[in-house]
Amino acid sequence: MDLFSNLALGFSVALSPFTLMLAIVGCFLGTIIGALPGLGPSNGVAILIPLAFTMGLDATSALVLLTSVYYGAMYGGRISSILLNIPGDEPAMMTCLDGYPMAQQGKAGEALVLSGVASFVGAMFATIGLMLLAPLLARVAYLFGPAEYFALYLLAFCTLGGIASKNQAKAALAACIGLAIAMIGLDNTSGMPRFTYGNLHLMDGIDFLVAIVGLFAIAEVFVFIESHGRDSAVGVKLEKVIIPWKTIAGSTWTMLRSSVIGFIAGILPGAGASLGSFLAYMGERAVSKDKETFGTGNPRAVAAPEAGNNSAAGGALIPMLTLGVPGSGTTAVLLALLLTLNITPGPTLFTDRPEVVWGLIASLIIANFVLLIMNVPMVKIFVKILSVPPMLLLPGVTMVSFVGIYSLTGSYFDLLLMVAFGVGGYLLRKLGVPLVPIILGILLGNYMEDALRRAMVLSNGDWSFLFSSYIAIGLWIAAIGGFVAPIFLRGLFARPKAGLTD
Amino acid sequence: MASDRIFGLVMILMALAYIASAFQIQTSFLADPVGSKTFPVAVGIVVILCGLVFMVKPDGEPEWPDLRTWGRLAFAVAVLVAYSYALKPMGFLVPTVFTAGLLAYQITPKPAAAVMAGFGLSVGLFIVFRYGLGLGLQPFPKGLLG
Amino acid sequence: MTFFFKRMAAGAVLSVGLALPVAAAECIAPANPGGGWDFTCRQIGKILYDIGQVDQPVQVTNMAGGGGGLAYSHIVNERTDDADVIVAASSATTTRLAQNAFGGMTADQVRFVGAIGADPGVIVVSADSPFQSLTDMMEAMAADPGSVAFAGGSAAGGFDHLKVLQLAKRAGIEDIRTIRYIGVDGGADAITQTIGGFTQGMTGDMSEVVGFINAGEVRVLAVLTDERVPGFDDIPTAKEQGYDVVAVNWRGLYVPKDISDDEFQAWADKLQAVADSDDWKAAMEANGLAPFTKVGGDFQSWVDGVIAETVELSREIGVIQ
Repeated sequence: MDLFSNLALGFSVALSPFTLMLAIVGCFLGTIIGALPGLGPSNGVAILIPLAFTMGLDATSALVLLTSVYYGAMYGGRISSILLNIPGDEPAMMTCLDGYPMAQQGKAGEALVLSGVASFVGAMFATIGLMLLAPLLARVAYLFGPAEYFALYLLAFCTLGGIASKNQAKAALAACIGLAIAMIGLDNTSGMPRFTYGNLHLMDGIDFLVAIVGLFAIAEVFVFIESHGRDSAVGVKLEKVIIPWKTIAGSTWTMLRSSVIGFIAGILPGAGASLGSFLAYMGERAVSKDKETFGTGNPRAVAAPEAGNNSAAGGALIPMLTLGVPGSGTTAVLLALLLTLNITPGPTLFTDRPEVVWGLIASLIIANFVLLIMNVPMVKIFVKILSVPPMLLLPGVTMVSFVGIYSLTGSYFDLLLMVAFGVGGYLLRKLGVPLVPIILGILLGNYMEDALRRAMVLSNGDWSFLFSSYIAIGLWIAAIGGFVAPIFLRGLFARPKAGLTD
Repeated sequence: MASDRIFGLVMILMALAYIASAFQIQTSFLADPVGSKTFPVAVGIVVILCGLVFMVKPDGEPEWPDLRTWGRLAFAVAVLVAYSYALKPMGFLVPTVFTAGLLAYQITPKPAAAVMAGFGLSVGLFIVFRYGLGLGLQPFPKGLLG
Repeated sequence: MTFFFKRMAAGAVLSVGLALPVAAAECIAPANPGGGWDFTCRQIGKILYDIGQVDQPVQVTNMAGGGGGLAYSHIVNERTDDADVIVAASSATTTRLAQNAFGGMTADQVRFVGAIGADPGVIVVSADSPFQSLTDMMEAMAADPGSVAFAGGSAAGGFDHLKVLQLAKRAGIEDIRTIRYIGVDGGADAITQTIGGFTQGMTGDMSEVVGFINAGEVRVLAVLTDERVPGFDDIPTAKEQGYDVVAVNWRGLYVPKDISDDEFQAWADKLQAVADSDDWKAAMEANGLAPFTKVGGDFQSWVDGVIAETVELSREIGVIQ
């Protein structure tokens, strides 16, 4: 078997006491970096690149260290989502929705263990997919042109109706706020600046990290000041982590479904882990029988986005390795690392440099097992780090946010913007406007607009081009049939006048 | 009731300003069929529609904090804004002691503990960032250490 | 663990803009990690240290913003006499300066110290394309300028787009505004769209397509250099097919304006040393870069010439008034 000999080759380069130590250190650092708001996987990997060089690591060791950090951060993001209601990184925002309510109900341990297992399932699924099908799957990217991408992003926005159970108009408004913010900066298609008012800081647009840290972390500080830290899950006692076998068993299919969704989102350049976790959550909600419990601490709603985002993180490696197209900020950093090591990703990488590819796959598998151990039996260590009193924790989170954002551009401008997002986030929360659609709008707004405009350039303004392939038509049907129509139908049957806002 | 109505109105006004601003966008030498104004204008229109919905069909009144709490929140915002400006010229340590201490005091009003929190967080985080994560943070104002 | 943290403290620095007290050289990549400028900084920085030109590892700072404008204004306004800082630059930098995209700042506010490699411009089609030569493609466009759509890694009016427009002008196409072009997120994305059949041609740099050439998925119709590129000897230049267009994306550095001539020369010499090193030759080969070494005063005057040309071209096309 080719596969096994390849895998043996991979383990032979990736499995030594030294690389194992690197994997453990990388996983530990990654989990912490992931759990800290403002420091996400891409900063984490970027921070460690110079370290890899100073330590004089060879290509394989450097890859082991950095992929461990990458996967570690993807695992770690959920910890602060569940315990603090602050996503550690952007794909973890969906985990807040049900993870934090679970923690408030005293089920923090269960949520952490379940999401840890879900992360493992998602990541392993993606690694196996990478192993078996990478060269084949790379071709999927050739099938997605502007029209198909537009339909895909549209699908994401159409699922938003499900995020706010009370007021659809507020979810729509939130998405529009995100889209409006995304329009700021250089317009890709025409090359002209929009809404920048001559300010160079705004030329590249507003970084979604600034928005997410402001809306969640800084806003949370204001909530704490108002309540003096009451009604929060911080400081939840985790007496003993009991593995909730029944819950895990009950979520098996959820995890597998979500892994598939996340994996596909990961393979498509531009979509990435956030879209993966978002669609996994929304997909799970769409097929579940107890929709109304989503958002109130449903365990399956915790498992779905975590399996989805970790699977997407693995999937995103496929276009990066086989096409040289980074599907996300983190894979862009990993791509930079490969280039610096004189490894050029491309369609021939798998045949030209098998030791690199299979070494990477082997190190992903190692990292996954290390992370499973760290995040399930040993999760208390990370919980301890976060369970200091609120008067220490919240200022600490704020300072970490400031430093993390400061590292982006080194100017006070982004910091002020972050504080402004914090104030806005606080007010919007009070008014019952969901925050997740804002982030989604900022993340995907430009992609969606660019896709539409590229499609129109290619078709000379012929709108039927948007429905010109089976993939595009399929996505349109999924968007309208699966998510938009039910809102109207539900309104029709239960409350005749609801749903008029969409 | 009133909150949502005011919110709707504010959103409509902001959307109008946004749309007006969108019409100022310079057009490029190459026009694409959709153009750079269409999307922003469409987004603005949807916001206006949402705002109208809030004004016609407002949700219940949220629990707003009392006046004193508003004062405390405003103070916290002022501290964070000052911190944003201070970080670059004054280095990490000193502004962080003040900011972290003041925030800690606002969350749990115990002066002694807050002072400890300020110092502890400032020094502790500096060590973590500088030596743990290798970030090039500057501890003091540039002139002091030369 | 302590061993580990000590190693980290020893020099591992992703500088975050708060300047370091350590007297190490700093290389600013005016973009997020992962792009061409980041590559320039990291690769040159690594080699400078490896061949002993600097005592401490060069710190790479990422300063994304304004398509490089933020880093440019940072140097012009705050560090104009700092001899320990270098900034990654490329054709995109000079194109934007020429098109006045840096908020009124001009090219004479910094000094361009050198380029040590160039990425030749290429026009690429997918392997199953009907176009066998650049002439085929240009004739089809002359008949109907809208019949060939291009994808490239820069926004409209940017460097990749200009390559196509220059070729079209040489081919005698009058209405170059009707040529369809979509700017996507980088060259790899552009090539994916072209192989997928969504666009008929791709305009980009050689390094972006090397893997795809080796895999036999694309055909390079022309390379935009004076002579054929070593290692890719079967790819004809645009010039020999009758379209005199030369466009290379050089990889180099600029330094602040007010450093002394000696300091300027010192950086030029260091850069020359990198260019002569085997490490850099290996890096160039692995990344499809062609030799292109111009340092010091030579380079500055070459840059001035390129900018003047770009201004003229952009004005002709209508990118700037």
